[in-house]
Amino acid sequence: MFEQFSLSNIWENDGVLISVVGYIVVFVSLLSLAIIITYFQKVLQLKQRKKLKSAGHHAADADDLSISGEVSAAISTALYLHYEEKHDLENTVLTIKRVQRTYSPWSSKLYGLRENPKR
Amino acid sequence: MEGINQFIRFTGFANLTIEHVVMLCIGLIFIYLAIKKEYEPLLLVPIGFGILMGNIPFVEHVGLQIGLYEDGSVLNYLYFGVMKGIYPPLIFLGIGAMTDFSALLSNPKLMLLGAAAQVGIFLTFMAALALGFSVEQAAAIGIIGGADGPTAIFLSSKLAPELLGAIAIAAYSYMALVPVIQPPIIKLLTSKEERQIKMKPPRAVTKLEKMSFPIVGLFLTTFISPGALPLLGMLFFGNLLKESGVTKRLADTAAKPLIDIVTILLGLTVGASTQATQFLTKESIMIFVLGAISFMIATAGGVLFAKFMNLFLKKDDKLNPMIGAAGVSAVPDSARVVHMLGLAEDSSNYLLMHAMAPNVSGVIGSAVAAGILMGFLLKVF
Repeated sequence: MFEQFSLSNIWENDGVLISVVGYIVVFVSLLSLAIIITYFQKVLQLKQRKKLKSAGHHAADADDLSISGEVSAAISTALYLHYEEKHDLENTVLTIKRVQRTYSPWSSKLYGLRENPKR
Repeated sequence: MEGINQFIRFTGFANLTIEHVVMLCIGLIFIYLAIKKEYEPLLLVPIGFGILMGNIPFVEHVGLQIGLYEDGSVLNYLYFGVMKGIYPPLIFLGIGAMTDFSALLSNPKLMLLGAAAQVGIFLTFMAALALGFSVEQAAAIGIIGGADGPTAIFLSSKLAPELLGAIAIAAYSYMALVPVIQPPIIKLLTSKEERQIKMKPPRAVTKLEKMSFPIVGLFLTTFISPGALPLLGMLFFGNLLKESGVTKRLADTAAKPLIDIVTILLGLTVGASTQATQFLTKESIMIFVLGAISFMIATAGGVLFAKFMNLFLKKDDKLNPMIGAAGVSAVPDSARVVHMLGLAEDSSNYLLMHAMAPNVSGVIGSAVAAGILMGFLLKVF
């Protein structure tokens, strides 16, 4: 294979053209996707801004209305603790509930475990 | 006596060649790496066992219908999905249904790292051309640098079916060897201070953004590169199944049983396609070497571009350049490797979510690159 090595193969087969155009197109597609996502987020925030403004909230003028994942995790944890862990003291009264089951020879230990099977 | 002679002639021992032994050893190494080192076991076990199955010697082309390349054999039927590029889009469907694009949506500029890492594809394409491969073969070899097995199989099935086995094995091998190949390159190109950069935590992404992304992504990428439609269409479809929240059963099927079934069939048949009589050629060895170079260039391209982006970013927005290496689309291995390297430098630096953004955009980028190469080289007009 090395015997056929020649840089002219690249030119003859439009290698540089395909590579340059191909790489630029990959870049442009992902760049335009990135731009659209960025502006899409801003458009979505317009409604939120309007709501905050009508409520007279000063956060409506902030550059970025989004909150980080860490902040939302902290808020979620705080809400969980508030609603689910209201008491400061654990309940110390333990009760054992007796469960009544109707007798049946099919579930009887007497028949099922202590007797040897008949041969 | 004649019957016994014929039976002996038909046994594997009578047909064993040194090439078979070499390939059987390679299969065993794959299985060893998968089980002992846990390098991509879900891929390497089926491929490794496929290599063993494909290299059990037998008398070929006498109508036994045993081998993968013999018409009518079971393996030949299963290999049909590889040859016709059926399995890769199904794998992409599953990947879409498993992937959370939140990290990407919260920081869209990281998408550029996924684009930058595709440099490996085009540089290797030129190197393969210089080495004397045809332009279609060179494109199929170059795509190994995308580090995306299904994309490599898809493109080579369209452009260079004769090289499919070697390209698929090379692509999957390098994907499995991400933890070995990438760290030295990353360390070589970054300083300790750069590796310790802590990035801003990603913002919370709304459900509407997550649902809109697959639709916007489909339109934008496939209008530019329609050749990538089978791959990207399925990727975004799978993602919409996941994010819509109303097709949980379909998303679960795509993300679990379907992708598992296709992975088994794909891995086994790609492994079995390495039949020594067809596979061990000078070209295959060249493909392996070019694939490795392609993968290294892609990794370096991503890291260097992250450093380049840092020149223009504010101090608080600086990127940890290691995440550029995740721009190769070996999902999620390269992101995991970057995360582990980050933790090794600073045990409180969690880079996984940040690295997932270039990682998934690398999947999109390599599929777009494959579509572009198809657009250039498929002879349809």
